[in-house]
Amino acid sequence: MVVVMKERASDTDVEAVIASLVEMGMDVHRSTGASRIVLGVVGGGKVDPRLIELMSGVQEIVRITQPYKLASRTFKPEDTTITIGDLRIGGDEVVVIAGPCSAESEAQVHATAAAVKRAGAKILRGGAFKPRSSPYSFQGMGEAGLQLLRSGANAHDLKLVTEVMDASQIEVIGKYADIYQVGARNMQNFTLLRELGRTRKPILLKRGIAATMEEWLLSAEYILAGGNTDVILCERGIRTFETFTRNTLDLSAIPIIKELSHLPIFVDPSHGMGRRDKVAPMARAAVAAGADGLIIEVHNDPDHALSDGAQSMFPAQFDRLMAELRIIAPAIGRSICLEPVARRGWAR
Amino acid sequence: MATELNLEALRDEIDKIDEVIVRLLDSRARCAYTVGRLKHELGRPIYEPAREAAVIAHVRKVSAELGGPLDGDAVARLYERIMDEARCIQRLEAERDARENSKSDVAAGL
Repeated sequence: MVVVMKERASDTDVEAVIASLVEMGMDVHRSTGASRIVLGVVGGGKVDPRLIELMSGVQEIVRITQPYKLASRTFKPEDTTITIGDLRIGGDEVVVIAGPCSAESEAQVHATAAAVKRAGAKILRGGAFKPRSSPYSFQGMGEAGLQLLRSGANAHDLKLVTEVMDASQIEVIGKYADIYQVGARNMQNFTLLRELGRTRKPILLKRGIAATMEEWLLSAEYILAGGNTDVILCERGIRTFETFTRNTLDLSAIPIIKELSHLPIFVDPSHGMGRRDKVAPMARAAVAAGADGLIIEVHNDPDHALSDGAQSMFPAQFDRLMAELRIIAPAIGRSICLEPVARRGWAR
Repeated sequence: MATELNLEALRDEIDKIDEVIVRLLDSRARCAYTVGRLKHELGRPIYEPAREAAVIAHVRKVSAELGGPLDGDAVARLYERIMDEARCIQRLEAERDARENSKSDVAAGL
């Protein structure tokens, strides 16, 4: 790191900072400029930058290395790809996850699974344990919901991702799901992340609603540090001053995460926008910006959904979106839904 | 042509001076190493700001007497680098000592 001293820092200030850094086992390179002194700090010692920042005469600390290691591109220059059966995430193919917000009934799960499979999705999404903002909202079907989702996924040859809210649910969800999802609200639930680090199933880690990219990557680091190397990051919108949309979908996360990390990045335009009519444009933009995949809420009958109906797409809308994505993906050297899809209405 | 010959001659001169400088830096580093060992035995810290300030003041004075193109500030900046390296030599030596002490503690069953 680099310590920039204030213009009016006294010799005693500078000496005290150097003395502390040397005591911490660091090598200090002092550079005296025309108006201020800059200290280059290198070495293997442990420094708490905040302690140095508080010292008299210090203007600012500029950190050069990132606090996360295993998640960083420096640690692993090549992209991480995750294989689940015949499916590869993080490769050339853009992988689409789609399905209802929550499992509600057998008919709903099967109808939605059939629809998203037809359109080209590879993974079914759906919640059995729902983290709702209000304790009075529908909380999910629990294990019965997991059974419905698994049978829906199996019937249509889809993989399954579902959210784990608490470490106590890891075992039961593990029996049914192919991917554990960690929701935005749990992104910094470090005990849960540690437990998931011990599992050997991929984790879809959503970005917290007010989390910086660095905090997000540090959360991924918790999972990676436990030995589970299959982490998929998922941008789902952050809180800003704008209230028109539910959240502000931060698509800038895609190229930034691609630079900082080797982990695949997905985008969830449904939660980011909160309105189904705004999902498709953001999904298209996400693919164009280089996302490795999308997670989209689709419901066979959104108007009667028990949760998040307003942001769930109708199957026909999703179908059309997938057709558009098939045109966009090749423009940036990627593919989407490799299997030939039966010709239907959208292909006119 | 004459200018090119001059340039070559001057560069040869610089190479010779560099050899002397590196030899002198080497002698200085050996001194600093011994100083580090003494500091360790006397229990004094590696970083002694008063001593560093005195070194800078001294070389500034020498440079002022010479009156060449390298002014006092420039010499001071160069010496900051030289003292950074001296501190590094002393730190590495102190770390080696600490490692060896802990090993001999283990050997003595302490």
